Amino acid sequence: MGVFMTEVLVVLVILAIMVALGFGLLGLLKGGKAGSDRMFKSLVIRVSLSIALFLFVMFSGYMGWIQSNIVMLDAPTKQTPVQK
Amino acid sequence: MSKEQAYYVPHGTYWPIIGSIGIAMLFVGFANQMHGVEWGGSVMALGFAITVFMMFGWFGQVVNESISGIYNSQVDRSFRWGMSWFIFSEVMFFAAFFGALFYARQLSVPWLGGADNNIYTPELWNGFKTGWDAVAFTTPGTTLQSGVEMSVPTQLVNTWGLPALNTLLLLLSGVTLTFAHHALRAGHRNQIIGWLVATIALGVAFLGFQIMEYGHAYHDGLKLTSGIYGSTFYLLTGFHGFHVTVGVIMLTVILYRIQKGHFTADNHFGFEGVAWYWHFVDVVWLGLFIFVYWL
Repeated sequence: MGVFMTEVLVVLVILAIMVALGFGLLGLLKGGKAGSDRMFKSLVIRVSLSIALFLFVMFSGYMGWIQSNIVMLDAPTKQTPVQK
Repeated sequence: MSKEQAYYVPHGTYWPIIGSIGIAMLFVGFANQMHGVEWGGSVMALGFAITVFMMFGWFGQVVNESISGIYNSQVDRSFRWGMSWFIFSEVMFFAAFFGALFYARQLSVPWLGGADNNIYTPELWNGFKTGWDAVAFTTPGTTLQSGVEMSVPTQLVNTWGLPALNTLLLLLSGVTLTFAHHALRAGHRNQIIGWLVATIALGVAFLGFQIMEYGHAYHDGLKLTSGIYGSTFYLLTGFHGFHVTVGVIMLTVILYRIQKGHFTADNHFGFEGVAWYWHFVDVVWLGLFIFVYWL
C-alpha cells in the first residue's frame, strides 16, 4: 500500500472515530434510556475503531507503508535525518 | 405549579465566591511567582488550597443534593448541557493546539526555509536550516531572542518504545471502561468496581510512563527551548497528561460513588459524563500519537 493511500485511510478512520465520539456526546446530551443506549453503542464503535486504527498504524510502520516522523535515534552528527 | 417548573435553586450558597477568591489568588500568586516576587509562591499555594477546598465542598454538596432526590428532570438536563459546553471548550482547546502543530509543521517552518516564494531566511541569517525534526537542524550553542541557549537533543524518543506502549495502555483503558459501563447498565456492581479499578490502574501506568518519557527526553536535551518542535511536543503532551491526571481523579471519585451505591442502571449521569471525558482524552492521545509521531 502506498504512503498516500495509507495516510488517507488513517485520516478517514480518525474522522470516523470523531463522528462516533460525537454521537456519544449527543446521547449524553439527550439522556434517558434512548440517549444512554445511543451513547453506549457509539462508544463501543469508537473503542473498536481506535484499536483497529492503532494496530493498522503499527502494522503500516512495520511494513514500511508509513515512516515515523521521528527518525533520528542517534546523535545528529551520526545520522542524517530523513526528510519527509 | 407543575413539577417541571419547580426548578431547584440552592439559596444562599457561598461556594462561588470562595471559588472566585481561590482561583484569583492562584493566578495572582502564579503571575507574581513568575516575576520573582517573594510572596508569589505562598499566595499561589493558598489559592490552590482554597480552590481544592471549594471543589470538595461544592461537588460534595451537589452529590448530596442529587442522592437526596431533590433534582428533577430539568436539573438533569442542565447538567447534561453544562457537561456539553465544558466538552466544547475542551475540543476548542485541543483544536488550537493541533492547529499550532499543523501550522508550524506544514506552513511556518517551510516558509522560513524559503518555501512559497517567501524571503529565504538563510540570506538573512547565515547558516539557517529548516526541517520539522527541527532539533536535528539546529546548531548547538544557538541563542534564542530571550537570551536562553537553545537546547539541542542528542537523541529523540523512539516511536516504537514508550509512545506506542502508552497508546496501547490508554486504548486498553477505553476497553475496560466500556466493560465497566456495560456492567453498570446491567446492574453488576462488583464487575463495575473491578473494571473501573483496571481503568484507573491503566491511567496511572500511562502517567508513570509519560513521566519516564519526559525524563528520557529532558535528559537527552529535548526541552521547551528546543525550538518549535520541543515547545509543541511539551505543550501537546503536557496538556494531555494534565487531562489524564484530571480523568484519573474523576474516575476515582466515580469508583467511590459506586461503592457508596450512588448510581443505578437507569440513572448514572455522573458516570456517563466522566466516561465520555475519558473516551475523549483517549481519542486526543490517539490523534497525538498519529500526528506527532507518524503522519
